[in-house]
Amino acid sequence: MATTTPEEAIAGALRRPRKPLIAKRRHRQVVLTYLFLIPAATVFILYRLIPLGWNFVLSFQFWSPTAPAEFAGLYHYEEMFLFDDVFRDALKNTLIYMLTAPIGIIMALGLAMLVNSQIRSRGLYRTLIFLSYPLMTVGVGIIWRWLYDEKVGLFNFILRSLGLIDEPIAFLESFSTALASVMAAAIWQILGFFMIILLTGLQNIPEHLYEAASIDGANRWRQFYRITLPLLRPSIFLCLIIGIIASFTSFDLIFVMTNGGPGHATELLITYIYRSAFQLSQFDYAGALTVVMFVFFITIAILANFVAGGDAGKVDIN
Amino acid sequence: MASRSMNNYRRWPIHTTLIIVCTLMLIPFYWVIKTSLTGENLFSYPPAILPQNPNPYYFVDAWYFVPFVRFFANSVIVAGLAITANLILNALAGYALTRHFAGKRLVVLVLLSSMMIPFHATIIPAYLITRELGLLNTHLGLALPAFSHVVLIFVFKASFDAVPNSLIEAARLDGLSEWRIIYKIMLPLAKPAVATNIILSFIWSWNDFLWPLMIIRDVDMQTLPLGLSTFQSYFEDTTGSLYAFSVMVLAPGLLVFLLAQKEFIRGLTSGASKG
Repeated sequence: MATTTPEEAIAGALRRPRKPLIAKRRHRQVVLTYLFLIPAATVFILYRLIPLGWNFVLSFQFWSPTAPAEFAGLYHYEEMFLFDDVFRDALKNTLIYMLTAPIGIIMALGLAMLVNSQIRSRGLYRTLIFLSYPLMTVGVGIIWRWLYDEKVGLFNFILRSLGLIDEPIAFLESFSTALASVMAAAIWQILGFFMIILLTGLQNIPEHLYEAASIDGANRWRQFYRITLPLLRPSIFLCLIIGIIASFTSFDLIFVMTNGGPGHATELLITYIYRSAFQLSQFDYAGALTVVMFVFFITIAILANFVAGGDAGKVDIN
Repeated sequence: MASRSMNNYRRWPIHTTLIIVCTLMLIPFYWVIKTSLTGENLFSYPPAILPQNPNPYYFVDAWYFVPFVRFFANSVIVAGLAITANLILNALAGYALTRHFAGKRLVVLVLLSSMMIPFHATIIPAYLITRELGLLNTHLGLALPAFSHVVLIFVFKASFDAVPNSLIEAARLDGLSEWRIIYKIMLPLAKPAVATNIILSFIWSWNDFLWPLMIIRDVDMQTLPLGLSTFQSYFEDTTGSLYAFSVMVLAPGLLVFLLAQKEFIRGLTSGASKG
């Protein structure tokens, strides 16, 4: 090819049929399509898929940053399920903590229906109820800690002024109230988010369904059970999944408000994982804990999907 | 709906309920602002409902005590990196997903399944990987895991899908490269998706706490949430200054939300329902 003169090259190009040119261009586009996907894919492979696999490998090893890896078999899992009381507490607390999702959703559904009615300044109501959601969770924790304070906290002051209690309650320091107190703060923060999602769902329900129902003589309750709830199912499922994820990842609030205490009364799986890895330097054990947390999470997500009717996570691929 | 025909008389219970709910929701805001101005400490019982002798002393105290500007700058740099990366990476990936190509099903499957892996389930290897990359204690290390969010890729894809194919074909015939098609045609037509990407990647980066807590060792590199939590753990009883600092930390995020409220809520509802 090196001996080709420019004239010959041009003549050759002119003789070349048109089809391969288009094919070449198509080929270029396909290559570009893959190229466009690579940067984002790299992030997900590096920070989602590899870590997931690595956790799995780590959970079957004895490993620490200073010692070489050794095969450990099921050692960590045996330790966890047979002997580790803290793990059992953390698992139980995580299960209880997930109740924030249904409780929050029920409250938010009521609010969504109220702010969906044709009243003046409903936009303002929506904003005010939503205002806690974009807050930094660390800040939320600090504010609520102060509200719960045993000596001078607002809640104790109100309860004592109303004569409901004689002795102040140490909300965050006693075993019976600590977890519920943190959950209340979590619900306060996420309530507005649930409300907005459910409100969008409500607004997508066609008005004429209600008109037809009232012509047929269905009362408000019947309309709610037969029209609103069934048509709202995708929105409710969405809130449920996001609420469950939020429960599994509620690290910030616990860390700031109670740091897992008193004892391990507010220890969640995620706080226990952090503690094992970064305070006790048991990276291998924390890896095993993470595997269990992930399996637990996926099981609950699939169950929720099943309850919601089976196709709630469906995405149109094209 | 029956509410259309409701008269004013039947509306007041709704207003009353909502006013009570809003008041309850706002009490924590009020209480922290009040404390930041009066500095009531652990020995002042009963607490005053209205602020007594409000003064800016605790803000000044916190300002001189904490390198607020430094924390703020760190947060801004990390959020800036995350926003830029999300815009570029998600727009490219979103555009690619509007095409048909071999293996698309697999790619979508991988993306969707990585959406079901909460970042919290990856923290230990993520930490080790970041250490291997030599990015502990750096701005890039803080932002890198948040360089792309699957939900936001699908926000771009949905928006690009709405652009008529004939327009893209015409641009191609005019000789525009694929890069320029994205930059000159797709992005200007997908302004809401761009806004959603900016707002959500900002707020997720801005409020992030666990990741900075794990990989930042120097006080100089701390972001606002980390600085706030450190302050709390060191000086628990300097009440007034702690809450003044809290207000300073919470204000910027809240301000951004109030300024971009429409985009924020539309982003959340569209982003979330794509998931």
